[in-house]
Amino acid sequence: MSSVEHIKEGRSRPSFPWALSSLIGQGTPGAGSPAILALLMLPGLIIVAAFFIIPMALVAMRVADGPDGLATYFVILTHDRYLASLIQTLVMSGGVTVTALVLCGICGLFLVRNRFAGRNVITALLTLPLSFPGTVVGFMVIMLAGRQGVIGSVTDALWGEKIVFAYEITGLFVGYLYFSIPRVILAVMASAEKLDPQLEEAARSLGAPTWRVVRDVILPGLMPGLVSSGAICFATAMGAFGTAFTLATDIDVLPMVIYTEFTRNANIAVAAALSIALGAMTWAVLAAVRVFVGNGATSGTGGGA
Amino acid sequence: MRRDWKFYAQLGLTIVLCLFIVVPVVMSALAGVTVNVFKGLSSGLTLRWVFEVWDLYAQSILLSLGIAMACLVVTLLAGVPLAYVLVRRPSRMMRLFEELLTLPVAIPGLALALALLITYGGVSGYRSSWLFILTGHVLFTLPFMVRSVAAVMAAMDMKMLEEGAASLGAGFWRRFFGVIVPNAKPGILAGALMVVTLSIGEFNLTWMLHTPLTKTLPVGLADAYASMRLEIGSAYTLIFFVLIMPLLIAMQALADRGKRASRRIDTAEDTL
Amino acid sequence: MSTQIRLRNCAKTFADGTRALAPFDLTIEGGETIVLLGPSGCGKTTILRMIAGLEFPDAGGVISFDGDDVTRQSIEKRRVGMVFQSYALFPNMTVAENVAYGLKVHGVPSAERDARVDAMLEMMHIDMLADRRIDQLSGGQRQRVALARAIAVQPRVLLLDEPLTALDAKLRVRLRTEINALLRKLGITAVYVTHDQEEAMALGDRIVVMQKGEIAQIGTPREIYRKPQNPFVADFVGAANRMTGQMRDGRLHIGAHVFDAVDAFDPRHGAIIDQGAVELYFRADGLSPCDLSEAHFTGRVEAVSYLGERLRLTVSGIGPQAVTIDTHADDVIEAGADVHCRVNADRLTVFPAVAAHS
Repeated sequence: MSSVEHIKEGRSRPSFPWALSSLIGQGTPGAGSPAILALLMLPGLIIVAAFFIIPMALVAMRVADGPDGLATYFVILTHDRYLASLIQTLVMSGGVTVTALVLCGICGLFLVRNRFAGRNVITALLTLPLSFPGTVVGFMVIMLAGRQGVIGSVTDALWGEKIVFAYEITGLFVGYLYFSIPRVILAVMASAEKLDPQLEEAARSLGAPTWRVVRDVILPGLMPGLVSSGAICFATAMGAFGTAFTLATDIDVLPMVIYTEFTRNANIAVAAALSIALGAMTWAVLAAVRVFVGNGATSGTGGGA
Repeated sequence: MRRDWKFYAQLGLTIVLCLFIVVPVVMSALAGVTVNVFKGLSSGLTLRWVFEVWDLYAQSILLSLGIAMACLVVTLLAGVPLAYVLVRRPSRMMRLFEELLTLPVAIPGLALALALLITYGGVSGYRSSWLFILTGHVLFTLPFMVRSVAAVMAAMDMKMLEEGAASLGAGFWRRFFGVIVPNAKPGILAGALMVVTLSIGEFNLTWMLHTPLTKTLPVGLADAYASMRLEIGSAYTLIFFVLIMPLLIAMQALADRGKRASRRIDTAEDTL
Repeated sequence: MSTQIRLRNCAKTFADGTRALAPFDLTIEGGETIVLLGPSGCGKTTILRMIAGLEFPDAGGVISFDGDDVTRQSIEKRRVGMVFQSYALFPNMTVAENVAYGLKVHGVPSAERDARVDAMLEMMHIDMLADRRIDQLSGGQRQRVALARAIAVQPRVLLLDEPLTALDAKLRVRLRTEINALLRKLGITAVYVTHDQEEAMALGDRIVVMQKGEIAQIGTPREIYRKPQNPFVADFVGAANRMTGQMRDGRLHIGAHVFDAVDAFDPRHGAIIDQGAVELYFRADGLSPCDLSEAHFTGRVEAVSYLGERLRLTVSGIGPQAVTIDTHADDVIEAGADVHCRVNADRLTVFPAVAAHS
């Protein structure tokens, strides 16, 4: 029944289909009635409501259940241990993001601009780890820099000393870099393909040497892609758990702290508070980028690490 | 076209990055089939580690595949209609809902798992079954299915197609299943591949949600790595690669086909 | 800014083997506006890019500006001004910054730079747009900014690659007039690429008509229009009507009629066509309606278009295809009627008949 018919029938109190149609809007010919649209949305609505919205709300409420009450919401800032972990995680994520952007910026642009034998193969290989869970990435780091690692064997052969850093902070950094590079390079390549070659030719026609063309035309052109992929890289690194878990390093990144608080210390309130803080931070970074760069920028590759 | 030192420097960097990514993959694959990993390839190749992994972890592997399939079914049933409504009837409320839908991707899996545990941890039958893990996977993969299908739907002029079908007498459901869904197939296919790949490889959520009876492939992998047996860990990783590779190749092929189709521009120039 | 440009023995073959340009010579006088005209893929843009320094001619080709050999000089050093089809304005800079860019690169001190930018913006009537961002501009405005930017550096030659193609018809005509006036005023050497023959005729001091990598004809608009040297040029520039005829002893026979005052010089072979089957090309003024007493032919009017200044008739039965005949707008002629026409022999261009058309 359309809303008009309801009114004609003299019903003054709004019924469910009528309320929904205000959510969905007036029915248009061809689109299906509001009732049908509501039906189509139902499964998705139920899933999101029951398994996300309500649980997240409960988490928020559980924070206040702890011994410190409402102060627990700020535990990430008030307790030294958690604050240190936050800072470590921020620094690690920031460092990885910058490194990945620089490396992938150079290589991504290079791959898009040059055709040579094996180019497609290299591109495919570089994007391999996109689907690796964090724990596999950790294993890869062990393969590279663990006690039987290839880097250790190489340095042993060259200089007689086996370098092993898989279980130190360098190893964690390398692991984070391992899952960041594929994400960033895909985004950089997509961005580079959209660059207008005529802009560069125009700059050159006005006399600009290569470094100026890079600074004045190419980098500004790539900036949206760099910023959005940087944000995704940062958010992924902030929330990464599997890699740190597998490498079991001394460094306590925030996800690891949340994990130990919840499973080992059964400190649910603190774990909940830290989770909310972490979730809010990653969401804020991605949302900020969307505001500045526009939608579609953060619709990149998925998968946590 | 001049290949100067700058070209080779960039090529060098690219190759170094490539090696960085690929060498450990190859190493672990080899280690999984080498008799004695410390002696290297000279000790011969064998499948016995792979078989041992299967004995130990067959259940985890099969459970992962099962959950991935179930996840696919759920995201199809929930996601395709959702994508339709989002594209067909955009509004501010819709955008808010889309934002909520995508939130599980922006938030670390750990936080999502915590939320589910706090809310449903007490429902013991549900908590200890594979359905619990499925829930987490669906939350995480649904946005990808919706986005993929919505992108294709937005590109094709659905309004025009629907009005055309309606003018020929087709009712809503006939239009939906006969016109809309078939035309959205590329998006559905791409979304399906994405969902399955993500589900098989999901770890952060699953580790928090699993029980000894509901271990998935990545959870088993973490176990194997912790056991410190290099051959077992490597062989198990090899199995994971073998499962994942065809999916990745299929996704790439699908993407290439899509790119080639959109490049076919009609030129109306006729030669004089 | 009025540099003479010479291209000698220039050809272009791409890496995959396609021959974009056959070897050619071209001299562009200082201050001249030369138009490269032809259909897509004829090589006109390639020539422009060679002059710019974005492409290099095959070995043996020489390009010189006022006698200086610039063949191997890259575009950054050549001091050309280029206007691209998509304008190529820098989206991260304002209008003023765009126009100032070349001056900045060349290290012009900021006071002088600002003065020149202001003068340029004023000349192009866009001084009120100085602080706007590029995405806020209309097509015509962007066009002017692109021109301002290219001219600001006082280039030796101005190169324009189909700059008006992206605009709608009326705007195109208006800007065309403005560009024409600007080029005359500056006295700058300009090379203009287009596929629009009307544009070519309006702008060019000389037109280079191109076909499939070869130069079909070089001449003033009048020469191109009135004396096309081959069927392609005749067909490409202006309405082309065709009739068949015979040359016998230097006189043109069309059917039963004989004509003397005919220009039957074949430039390809450098001789008068004396004998043989010929194809006759003519414009809409090659035939004129008349009384039966003067008429050479009678045809049937298929369609009549009132164009305001003249009446355009489509007449069948005279040539192998329907011909276009223009006459006074006030003539009363209706579709379906018969019309008697006389041939204006001096308006005919004679080509030897070929078995197959290229």
